[in-house]
Amino acid sequence: MIFITGPLFSGKRAFARMLLDCGEESFAARAVWDVQDLAAGCEDLEALAEALSEKDAVIATEIGGGVVPMDPAERSAREAAGRLSCLLAQRAETVVRVFCGIPAVLKGTLP
Amino acid sequence: MLTLVVGAAASGKSACAESLVLRSSVWPRVYIATMEPLDSECRARIQRHRTMRADSGFETVECYTGLSAVKVPYGCAALLECMGNLCANELYSPHGSGDGAEEAVLRGIDRLLPQCRELVIVSNEVFSGGSRFEGDTIRYLRLLASINRELAARADQVWEIVCGLPVCHKGGAGDAF
Repeated sequence: MIFITGPLFSGKRAFARMLLDCGEESFAARAVWDVQDLAAGCEDLEALAEALSEKDAVIATEIGGGVVPMDPAERSAREAAGRLSCLLAQRAETVVRVFCGIPAVLKGTLP
Repeated sequence: MLTLVVGAAASGKSACAESLVLRSSVWPRVYIATMEPLDSECRARIQRHRTMRADSGFETVECYTGLSAVKVPYGCAALLECMGNLCANELYSPHGSGDGAEEAVLRGIDRLLPQCRELVIVSNEVFSGGSRFEGDTIRYLRLLASINRELAARADQVWEIVCGLPVCHKGGAGDAF
């Protein structure tokens, strides 16, 4: 599994599509994105990370870079998203961060 | 040559961008200022930047909207600061191009680039603090992110500035700074 992270609208999905080199439909089956939203309220992040790792590409938006949110639910959602990203990065053979459309390999090598 | 310098608030991106211009030894030096002095906070910020570059010999050209109308001396080194302001102005100023903001900005860059020997553009990293935004905020984020990606694709060099330190994402030589 390749884990792709990066800021909002940085071109993560376009990069993943290029990497997997497949059509829209096949991409939807082989990749999962916005996984930061799945972390909120999840009881078992390890199990979630494990399940997501079945995909060829897992994409998460970095959301932990702002000030600590006032709202407790937002705070815990943001925490969970960060932890999920760490768990995914541990399981990934390759980790890529996309910045302004430019990929940087943080772990492993590109297939 | 086109260089994109991106960083978070107070990351030191202005100083890094300015030092890239100074190291190029290209004259004349033109500073394209995009912040409109709307209130005392803006005026203080503008003054801080004016003081920062007081001894660097920049001629200042103000451009709040309509970058494609800007004329600079042929073969100059230009520093445009910053794209975050220009995008906001194009979207929300009465003189801006609203829904045509992206096209207006990119057309402006296309007109500016051939006039410059060196063009350094400062832009903003505001995209890691969440993904659930609405209305005007998401509209602005989409615009700026798209402009950043377009600029990065065209740029010879892309630098992200972190705590005053340059991280190279594209094309940088070891002695760039």
